Amino acid sequence: MLGFLILVALLVPLFAPYSVVQAWNDPSAWTNNPKLAAPEWSEIFAGKKLPRTILLPYNGETGGFTKARVVVDEAGQTYVTVVLRSSFSFQADAFPSEIALYMTTVFGNQSGTQIRMFWDRPDGEEINLFDATPTVRAPFENTFSLTTPAIKGDPAYSVYANIRNWLIRKNITTQTEWDQLYPSRGGIYDSPPKAEVLLMAQLNHNMLDPYSAQVLKGTYAFRIEFQGFARTDDANARAVIYGRVYGIAGTDGSRRDLLVALLWGAPVALAFGLAGALASVLIQTILGAISGWYGGVIDEFLQRAADFYLIIPTLPILILLGILYRPSIYGILFVLVIFGLVGATTKVVRSIVLSVKEEQFIEAAKSYGASRGRILFRYILPRVMPYTFALIALNVPAFIFLEASLSFLGLGDPQLPTWGHIIGDAYSNDALFASRAFPSGLWWWVSFPAAGIIFTTVAFALLGYAFDKVLNPRLREQ
Amino acid sequence: MGVVRHLTKRALFLAITFVIAVYVTVVIANGFGRIDDILKKQIYQDLKQQFARNPAYNRLPPADQARIFNDTYNTAVEAQGLNEPFLPKTIRYTTNAIQLNLGRATQLFSSDGSTSVAAIIFERLPRSLVLFTTANLIAAATGIWLGLWMAKKALSPFDRGLTVLSVTTFVVPPWVYGILFILVFGFGLKVLPSGGLTTIPPLPQAPLIWAFPPLVALGMISGGWFASRHLRAKQRVIGYGVIVAGIAVLIAWGLAPYDYFKDMEVHMILPAAAVAFSVFGSWSYTTRNLVLQVMDEDFVFAARARGLKERDVLSRYVLRAASPPIVTSLALTLAAAWTGAIITETVFNFPGLGRLFFDAIQLNDAPVIIGLTTVYALLLVLTVFLLDMSYSLLDPRIRALRR
Repeated sequence: MLGFLILVALLVPLFAPYSVVQAWNDPSAWTNNPKLAAPEWSEIFAGKKLPRTILLPYNGETGGFTKARVVVDEAGQTYVTVVLRSSFSFQADAFPSEIALYMTTVFGNQSGTQIRMFWDRPDGEEINLFDATPTVRAPFENTFSLTTPAIKGDPAYSVYANIRNWLIRKNITTQTEWDQLYPSRGGIYDSPPKAEVLLMAQLNHNMLDPYSAQVLKGTYAFRIEFQGFARTDDANARAVIYGRVYGIAGTDGSRRDLLVALLWGAPVALAFGLAGALASVLIQTILGAISGWYGGVIDEFLQRAADFYLIIPTLPILILLGILYRPSIYGILFVLVIFGLVGATTKVVRSIVLSVKEEQFIEAAKSYGASRGRILFRYILPRVMPYTFALIALNVPAFIFLEASLSFLGLGDPQLPTWGHIIGDAYSNDALFASRAFPSGLWWWVSFPAAGIIFTTVAFALLGYAFDKVLNPRLREQ
Repeated sequence: MGVVRHLTKRALFLAITFVIAVYVTVVIANGFGRIDDILKKQIYQDLKQQFARNPAYNRLPPADQARIFNDTYNTAVEAQGLNEPFLPKTIRYTTNAIQLNLGRATQLFSSDGSTSVAAIIFERLPRSLVLFTTANLIAAATGIWLGLWMAKKALSPFDRGLTVLSVTTFVVPPWVYGILFILVFGFGLKVLPSGGLTTIPPLPQAPLIWAFPPLVALGMISGGWFASRHLRAKQRVIGYGVIVAGIAVLIAWGLAPYDYFKDMEVHMILPAAAVAFSVFGSWSYTTRNLVLQVMDEDFVFAARARGLKERDVLSRYVLRAASPPIVTSLALTLAAAWTGAIITETVFNFPGLGRLFFDAIQLNDAPVIIGLTTVYALLLVLTVFLLDMSYSLLDPRIRALRR
């Protein structure tokens, strides 16, 4: 187990360099991924084919939009018409999660530049989804989200109106029923219709309920007409039909691929746990040995300090520190080690040293005049070290979990995607609440990092247990 | 008199520890002056807004405006004692905290609308106490029982399997199990509620007495079990009788109509199971090892030589001698339970102390955080003291061991 972990920890930085971690915090790096998508293999349990994300790239790229550009001069006026087309085959059993259209447009200062977007369905229906005016010039993209409108002026609102008109025309619904289903005050829907369902469902009354609508499989097409009034006017488009499943580990609420974070969690957790355990156990061992070897006031002081450290509520105090100083991962490590200067290990080591103290070779060292410090570091500590290894292995889980706990509370390193950080993110995004859309919560978002943490700590616990058996002959005999 | 002297010494030490812990908390919570700055800014903002809405103030000339504003601001700062030097101020905070005079929350309030930190905390304290005490007791009972059994069958596949299970489960804190339990039992199997204290909307309030039958039943069952172990063969029937009565109480309670407290208890099953699952391993593992160590001692051989039954040897000689260290380990597990409760309760959305701490962090409510840390420190100190007491009662050697 541990070997596998170390292998992962060593390979991850090779395959996914640190720049991935930087990209993790960059929301623009993930725009082509679906939001809150389950892992691809989860469709085995769902029992139906769930849609993958379909990318329709720009004209000029392979498999991209086809473009036809016509320039007409008429009565001193230039008319530029660009028609962009692309189609995709949709064979999944569930609706996509979002549909978005991105366009780069070049246009002059004349008013009236217009984009008209048509949606062609496999059953021959064609819906004019919106007529819009581009607002952003190339190289920046105009974003037309067809399914998740941000504001009332968004094209998606005319998408809703156009879908409604289409459905009324087809006698699927009536204005009254539509208003009952999707109440809107002042033109703003309380809960907007699901355009991705209405656009891709079989044309019958069931389509109005997203949970009983059936998918219309077949080839869909985008047709976009761009109308410009200057010789240089041009347009290009790409579209994303976001799926419901993604990759091996799914995505989070910011469309990020969780696999990246899961893999990166391993080296971070290992390094953090090992460094913390190593530092605190070594310090505690030395202090424990000093306490046992020198005795007297030092002993009394260190033992009382150990008692004190065992009693104070460490986690609340750590949380306080976290709130006030927002430390980086090194800061957290430092604070954790400070709070583990003395503790259970000090007591264990002290008791071992007390028995080692009486042995003959110490007597011998004393007799040829070795100094007390020399005896402590050259004779006693080497005897204690084997126990220390077991204690280090047993302490690693504690450090991993402290970091995870702090990260869960949002007090960890804000830059690093640690396992605890992902679980905390997931929790604050309601991953542990069942909704109608996600009846099992966002299980992939929490269970994989949790499994990663458990796997790592169990590996160390077993290692510690193995050490324990070797070092405690009594446990072995029985 | 050895025990009394020892206990007095421990009490004194624990009291000093408590004071230092609270002082450290106060100093950190004040962020070496940071919270004071935040409070001052808050006062400043509040006054600004208050004055901006005051027409009489707005008609005054600017010089007067500034003077009046500064006067009011300084008085407000003075009234809250924010201008005192660091040491006296922190000492004042500490004494207040120790007297459980916890002040007023800045953001949070209790369910009856009070902003007193003490009211907020003591509204939630019983819930956490009930949940975590029950969970830990169940874990301890199961763990000790398993540990004895493992020791009896040492080195059998059963023992090896359970040892590995114990060693691996207790390193993982309850909240991680909590997440998995919610996913499996709450969402996957849909057998238990995944969080909260009651269903929403809560059922009508029932008399408090309805909360106790399961606890009473559990007490009867475990008491009866212990009795049947310790009594002579003829009187064991009494023990079995008590067990049966306990089960009867449990069944009767199960058949009773679904009420407020039952609802609450059903909601507590998953968090308690998560806590118990992460705690029982340390019990069974320590019990197993200690019992195996004690079994090698001469007095156990002597007891066996006298022809006592193996079960009596185990429960009367071995367990008695092994109990002090077992009880000590309770200190550490309970300590872990109290502080780990923050995330466990958050995960389960359980409105106890831990969840309160989480909310206080989110809202940056410093008085609540200080108050809670104080209460945590107090709980820890009390737990450790109670353990010390039971330790000295259990182990007669303590008088000889302590100088």
